Amino acid sequence: MRMRPWSIRTAAAFTAAIVSLSLGALVARGAGEPVKNPDTFVELQFGDVTSLDPDLAYDIYSAEPIWPNVYETLIIYSGSSLDKFSPMLATEVPSLQNGLISKDGMTYTFPLRQGVRFHDGSVMTPDDVVYSFRRFLLQDQAGGPAWLLLSPLLGVDSTRDKQGKIQVTFDQVQRAVYAQGNSVVFHLKRPFAPFLTIMAAWGGVMPRKWAAAHNDWDGGAATWQKYNNPKTEDRYQFDHMNGTGPFMLEQWDRQNKEVILVRNDHYWRQPARLRRVIIRSVTELAARRLQLQQGDADLIVASLNEQSQLRGLPNTVMQTKLPQIAVQTLQFNFKINTDGNPDVGSGKLDGQGIPSDFFADIHVRRGFAYAFDYAQNLSSAYAGQGILPHGPIVQGLLGYDPSVPTYATSRDKAIAEFKEAQGGKLWDTGFKFTVPYTAGNTARQVGATILRDDVQALNPKFQLSFRPVPASALNEILFSHKGTMYFLGWFADYPDPHDFAQPFLSANGYFPVRGGYNNPEADRLIDQAVATADPAKRAAIYKQLSMIAYNDLPYLFLVQPTTYYTMRSWVHGWYYNPIFPGQYYYTLYKQ
Amino acid sequence: MSRFIARRLLLLPFVALGVTALIFSLLQLLTPAMRASLYITDPKQLNALPDIIRKYHLDQPVYVQYWEWLRQVLHGDLGWSETAREPVLTAIRGYFPATFELALYSFACILVLGIWLGTLSAVQKDKIVDHLSRSTSISGASLPTFVWGLVLLMVFYGHFGWFPPGRLGLDADLFVRSPQFHPYTGLLTIDALLNGQWWLLWDALRHLVLPVATLTYFITATLVRITRSSMLETLRADYVRTAEAKGLPRDVVVDKHARRNALIPVITLAGLLFVGLLSGVVITETVFNWPGIGRWGVTASQQLDIPAVTGFALIFAGMLVLGNLCADVLYAVVDPRIRLQ
Amino acid sequence: MSAVRVPSLVAPGAPTVPRVQPSAWQRTVRRFRRNPLSVLGLCIIVFFVAVALLAPLLAHPIERNPYMIPHQGYASDPRPPGPGHPLGTTEEQFDLYYGAVWGARSAFVVALTVVGAGIAVALTLGSLSGYYGGWIDEVVMRVTDIFLAFPGLILAVVIVAVLGQSARNAMIAIAVVAWPTYTRLLRAEFLRVRDMEYVQAARAMGVRDVFIIIRHVIPNTIYPIIILASLDMGGIVINFAALSFLGLGAPPGYADWGQLISLSHNWILGTAGDPFQYWYTLLVPGVAIFLFVLGWNLLGDAFQDIFDPRQRGSV
Repeated sequence: MRMRPWSIRTAAAFTAAIVSLSLGALVARGAGEPVKNPDTFVELQFGDVTSLDPDLAYDIYSAEPIWPNVYETLIIYSGSSLDKFSPMLATEVPSLQNGLISKDGMTYTFPLRQGVRFHDGSVMTPDDVVYSFRRFLLQDQAGGPAWLLLSPLLGVDSTRDKQGKIQVTFDQVQRAVYAQGNSVVFHLKRPFAPFLTIMAAWGGVMPRKWAAAHNDWDGGAATWQKYNNPKTEDRYQFDHMNGTGPFMLEQWDRQNKEVILVRNDHYWRQPARLRRVIIRSVTELAARRLQLQQGDADLIVASLNEQSQLRGLPNTVMQTKLPQIAVQTLQFNFKINTDGNPDVGSGKLDGQGIPSDFFADIHVRRGFAYAFDYAQNLSSAYAGQGILPHGPIVQGLLGYDPSVPTYATSRDKAIAEFKEAQGGKLWDTGFKFTVPYTAGNTARQVGATILRDDVQALNPKFQLSFRPVPASALNEILFSHKGTMYFLGWFADYPDPHDFAQPFLSANGYFPVRGGYNNPEADRLIDQAVATADPAKRAAIYKQLSMIAYNDLPYLFLVQPTTYYTMRSWVHGWYYNPIFPGQYYYTLYKQ
Repeated sequence: MSRFIARRLLLLPFVALGVTALIFSLLQLLTPAMRASLYITDPKQLNALPDIIRKYHLDQPVYVQYWEWLRQVLHGDLGWSETAREPVLTAIRGYFPATFELALYSFACILVLGIWLGTLSAVQKDKIVDHLSRSTSISGASLPTFVWGLVLLMVFYGHFGWFPPGRLGLDADLFVRSPQFHPYTGLLTIDALLNGQWWLLWDALRHLVLPVATLTYFITATLVRITRSSMLETLRADYVRTAEAKGLPRDVVVDKHARRNALIPVITLAGLLFVGLLSGVVITETVFNWPGIGRWGVTASQQLDIPAVTGFALIFAGMLVLGNLCADVLYAVVDPRIRLQ
Repeated sequence: MSAVRVPSLVAPGAPTVPRVQPSAWQRTVRRFRRNPLSVLGLCIIVFFVAVALLAPLLAHPIERNPYMIPHQGYASDPRPPGPGHPLGTTEEQFDLYYGAVWGARSAFVVALTVVGAGIAVALTLGSLSGYYGGWIDEVVMRVTDIFLAFPGLILAVVIVAVLGQSARNAMIAIAVVAWPTYTRLLRAEFLRVRDMEYVQAARAMGVRDVFIIIRHVIPNTIYPIIILASLDMGGIVINFAALSFLGLGAPPGYADWGQLISLSHNWILGTAGDPFQYWYTLLVPGVAIFLFVLGWNLLGDAFQDIFDPRQRGSV
């Protein structure tokens, strides 16, 4: 029994290769703690950039490179503050005192900074600023952020009506945004208290000539309709950036899922200290964590339930309990579409299903509200990282009031409410339905488990189950009003209570359109609050709205979660503002 | 021979059509709203759905949409992939070299290991060596790839720091992006050689070790089994027994006669194996964050990125038919007994 | 997908020479016993069958659906083995012991369902195709070509993405990917047997086709199917696990080894101080899958050694 000579040779060669490879790698690997790549910053997150166009991108992963790193706004939030602003591309923050806001609150004037250069070298003029904002309003891609400024400036939520026909004119836009000497003037349709807040976060400025030279709108009256509602891929700005910010886009590598920024040496302020920034998307937590440990990454983003694994990693710092202007809710559908709906069982109140108006009954909703264990949800699904909200106006917003009552978990009260529900019949008949939740979202899955356990423990005739659905299916369910109860979160577009009150309580807000909630009093108050300038008066109105939310109970407000970042201890200059979609690399350096 | 080749090639458009029609028919089960969801990321964008459906003609009957897509393809345009954020063809061209490189190195290792172990096993049938090699290879096939991959990652990257995930380290990545580097093939190891950058070659190889090890361990088992059984069959053949009866030593018999004949079915299988590798790298690419076509394919499928999935299907069907063709031709060329009409 | 199908490597129609020899059964047993690996495989499978059958006794079901693993609380960090949880818990406190035991049952259900579906389709289509030939054969072959031209895992992902995530849909997806191979194999076998003398004789005698197929053809073609099926049992469970890993298999909390592994993959690195802190989350389902697949691979190999017609004739 002899081994083949060639096989011995092969085995030896193979082993030798492995050994030398490993030894070599061992030697190549650096030892210990000196800063790796001192002028390059690597951030690892796990989302996808959809577009680098500041007028079309609407998610945080796309927004991170855009603002305020590459494109800049006229004003910006001061440091970590949410209600104080500093001038950025403007030289002054408009206010009533300095007269840059008109007395009737309908005109805002922004004097522009001189000598600011774009990344292509051209100088910023009022024409460019006007163009940028008009483009923001008129490109209006379906699902994009244009409505944020369309609403106050033109009084509509879209440039197109429900049939898809254009419903605004260039004239209206011209009167809403125009240049006046060295300033840019915005003329609102009606007084809108959060206008400055929106301006501090939206509306990146780009040069008109550059855009026009690359197949985009030239700013003219006659041509804008052709550029309305583009397909993502039709715009040069989709993957090319030209702003005024401290960083320029070097490349968006879609294969490696990374955005690479380089320092803008002709920035209008002191140039950034970092020479290069790489933002890469890595889905596997293990890979993110290991790269942080090895120093190949400087900062990583991870979900709350992964936090315990990242604690205490050597040479790292974890910034935790970072407040977010966001809320997670469990919503009721007041009018369920029972046609071909797998989640409603029999569709009747016979113990084997639920009827279409099941949740329209306040006692049913209160039953769920008292049954759900909010504390358990916070500690299990969100690792205790967050606070229990008091209605839609969350902490950090004007009008937040911790004295607004909440539904504390109480088994007895839940039973009492359920006994009164559906004219007293529900308790004996029972019900059965399914809650769809976003597949892969562990927090919501735990929440669904808690809901089921809490409710089923009250009465054996109560049957509740839950199923994971992919995002596309959930969107379909919501779109066709087939949802029963569903978990939805809301993240601030801008840190003003209007951005929360309207989507939750207004009849044509996002959530009531899905769920069918409707209260004219709420609408009235919302309109009143947004038009009032005095913060104290506004706060009072929002407190009233919070009470309406408590009494009407269209949603269960579950958690206002916090967030955290884990970074190497050689990272300095980091600061946090809840409204930033990601990191602000301007102030960062490694040492 | 040429008629045979021609007939096989004629299959190609048919299969391609069939595969894409299969995908499209599956998608008939989706509502326009679900398909439009590809373009939004947050439920707050839901009221844009009617707009999106209108814009992309998603409410038209499926056969109309298929016909539109077909017309596009015949003009050389495979469409736009939302998940890749670039045209489908560009995405495939970008992702394919990474997968190809991974598959190539894995394939080489698999071939070497598989044939060696298989031959060894067959020659030493039912002895310790046979049992050992069969156990090892079967164990390889018994463990889910991602488990094995994660364990490797944990030990060799997490603990030792030798072999990182991804395709290139930071410096190497920046260098490849710079104008000093000329990409000739898209295969980083080859390109590094052609550019004369030894450190780059080293870096690329370092990143290849773990994914290749993962893939190799998992797939070698099959090849060992095939080689072994094929070798066994050959060793039992009359001419081998005759040679042994005449007094030729075992090694010579195996070396000179048996192996060549035993390898014939292995060759045919190798072609299929390679194509199978190209599609089987999905999990490995996900675990090691390898920017290849498998990982992209899964993401596209999960999010119902129809242009991507159908473009993908098209390319794969083509590769498979060509791969099968090569294997069959090779089989016919190598084995004089088989002549195909 | 995992294993690659073994094509029919030998020219069909090799005549069998009648010899004096011990009975088939005795030969089978003897060859089986000679190979320790085969015995090992058999033992493993018998063990798992026992666990699957005795599941309700070994792990008493608590939830309304016995396949849903009971959980104590909702804390997200896994707990190590201890009182009440002999093998520890996964994230969200699903008991690993319960999951492992009932996972055996669901593994068999999944594997047998898919193999059953594959064989059922193969019997119908493959027999029609192989026996009658002609245009039926062409059509069936082209259809299998189409299904085989697409990477298995991707096709499965598309199917589950379209149908919705559930254990049942994942099984459907895997079955859809698996049937072409079974059909092809059975068809090849049918082609081989169809031309054999006794089948021709039966036809000449006027025996009905259906009868011939059932009585003569199937029993003689079943062996490659058995080999394929036993080798595939493990592969199917691994593919199911892969789908779970991608978030497309059984819902979280379902007693399925693949699901348990997918729940563990975030914890593989442990914490800062102890990289192996959560070893049990990976080891318990990992060992279970490993042994299950190993058992079937060994058994399949053993069957191949025994039933393979090329090796049947030798001493």
